[in-house]
Amino acid sequence: MNGGRIYAIAARKFASLRRDKRMFGFIVLMPAIQILLFGWAIGGTPADLNVVVVDEGPAERSAIILGHLEGSDSLIITTESNLSAAIEMVEDGEHWAVVHLMADGTIEMHLDNSNQQVTNTILLEVRDAMQAASGGTLPLTIQDPVYGDKDPAFIDFLAPGIMTLVCFMFSTILTAMAFVGERHDGTLDRVFAAGTQPTEVLIGHLAAFTAILVGQVSVVIGIAVWGFDIPVVGSIFLLFAICLLLGWAAMCLGLVVSSKAKSEFQAMQLNMPMLFPALLLSGILWPVQALPGWLQPVAWALPTTWTAEACRSIMIRGWGLEAEGVWMAFLANAIFAGIMLLIASRTLKVRS
Amino acid sequence: MAAIRIENLVRGYGRIEVLKGLSMTVDDGSIYGLLGPSGCGKTTLLKVILGFLAPGAGNVDVKGTIPGSDVGYAPQEIALYGDLSIAETLRFHGRLHGMTSDQIQQRESWLIEFLDLPPASKQIGKMSGGEKRRVSLAVALLHEPGLLLLDEPTVGVDPELRARIWDHLETISQQGTTVIITTHYIDEARQANRVGLMRDGVLLAEDSPLAVMESQSAESLEDAFLALCKREVKA
Repeated sequence: MNGGRIYAIAARKFASLRRDKRMFGFIVLMPAIQILLFGWAIGGTPADLNVVVVDEGPAERSAIILGHLEGSDSLIITTESNLSAAIEMVEDGEHWAVVHLMADGTIEMHLDNSNQQVTNTILLEVRDAMQAASGGTLPLTIQDPVYGDKDPAFIDFLAPGIMTLVCFMFSTILTAMAFVGERHDGTLDRVFAAGTQPTEVLIGHLAAFTAILVGQVSVVIGIAVWGFDIPVVGSIFLLFAICLLLGWAAMCLGLVVSSKAKSEFQAMQLNMPMLFPALLLSGILWPVQALPGWLQPVAWALPTTWTAEACRSIMIRGWGLEAEGVWMAFLANAIFAGIMLLIASRTLKVRS
Repeated sequence: MAAIRIENLVRGYGRIEVLKGLSMTVDDGSIYGLLGPSGCGKTTLLKVILGFLAPGAGNVDVKGTIPGSDVGYAPQEIALYGDLSIAETLRFHGRLHGMTSDQIQQRESWLIEFLDLPPASKQIGKMSGGEKRRVSLAVALLHEPGLLLLDEPTVGVDPELRARIWDHLETISQQGTTVIITTHYIDEARQANRVGLMRDGVLLAEDSPLAVMESQSAESLEDAFLALCKREVKA
């Protein structure tokens, strides 16, 4: 391997990137928009759900329950004296549920159960209201948690995963088209004619894109942590380091695409199907523990699974590099990057 | 002494056979003009010499390490980065060949004058086709390699400059550089030490331009080629 040639390739690529101002902005702006959208769209509590109350219960008890329901931000309460009329209001699709306060103090519910998150939100409010009316508390006390917040928000779970996903996604895109064009317009032939090795071409590109990667990772972490006010109990440098390493692993994957694809359009097409497994299998939206057993090994073969878990451990548990879940993530990413680099260098051949 | 010796070379892509038992000899420090219509296999042959394509059958002997820093290659496609300036392009290729900044600078000034190039700061994407082709040639000449492979370097270049390029090739070949140049302006190859007339994956003739013309009692290389083609068709 020749350092001078790697430097030549990196410097050339970087000059091109710097010149393309629009692309440069796009590369930093897009991840920012993605992570903002994720933060706003996912994990919030549904608001302003229309609910009908049919009140036939004991006056004092009903007053407490109604008061509690009306005080909730999630619900908009309408009252109706006739049960079948109330159920019709749900059938019309204008309301999500009928809360029927019975004469014996119990409650019967008639639900539009087409959206689980909405149902859960309504049930939670009704349960709270009943508990308030009963005046008692459950014989269950939750002490200060060992890790995490006493009242955890879904976004706290989600943010580390989304950071992982966005870093992964945009790093792959970065390199996926890096030299598809060069392979076909003769420029790479020229580089090879000088005796350049494929590995030198790959590392040169990685080096040039690292400048952009650092910017991307900073933007993503910055928005997640400060924009959405997600607490980071552990070291933010460690967080930055693992995201950067994931970015490299993803860029290596992109290089494989770049050395295989016949056209830039094909590179895009090859890139797309890789994002879904990363999104669905890495415990980003839903815990990995919920995956069927046969999919577990697949999940742990993805660098994103390790990284999301490590980010969560660093951000919420405050773990450091000495924790297995953290150093394993560094190792997993390094191994993944190495394998991808090897595949790419085997694919990108001088001689055929 | 031979810089390149090829015997019965066969090579194709998949089922399509492009080179069909081609033999050629290129002397050290000579200019070899490889002539023939497009699609006859010239570019494939150059790629075998460069080591990009492994021979399917036959022998290929090339002096020196190839690919490597002693080769200068100007592909038929312009093969330059449109977003770079001339200076950046030369710096890139100079660094690939391990040249120092001073060396690159010196060659840059000389090449710009010799090939009548636009100012060094001009972006390649904004140049005309002829200008781009001359920059492409400049890149191949940059590091003064011992073996020059030029694939159609004179397309769209004006006659005066074309003559100057040929004169320069003659000069460096006398200093020991081996040059293989493909062209379909057949008669410009009169200045070559040897020409190979290529058609459909083989050489119809390989000799000095004068000998080729005499053997066909032709006035020009073009006519000699035509006579050879006709004979080939009859056979």
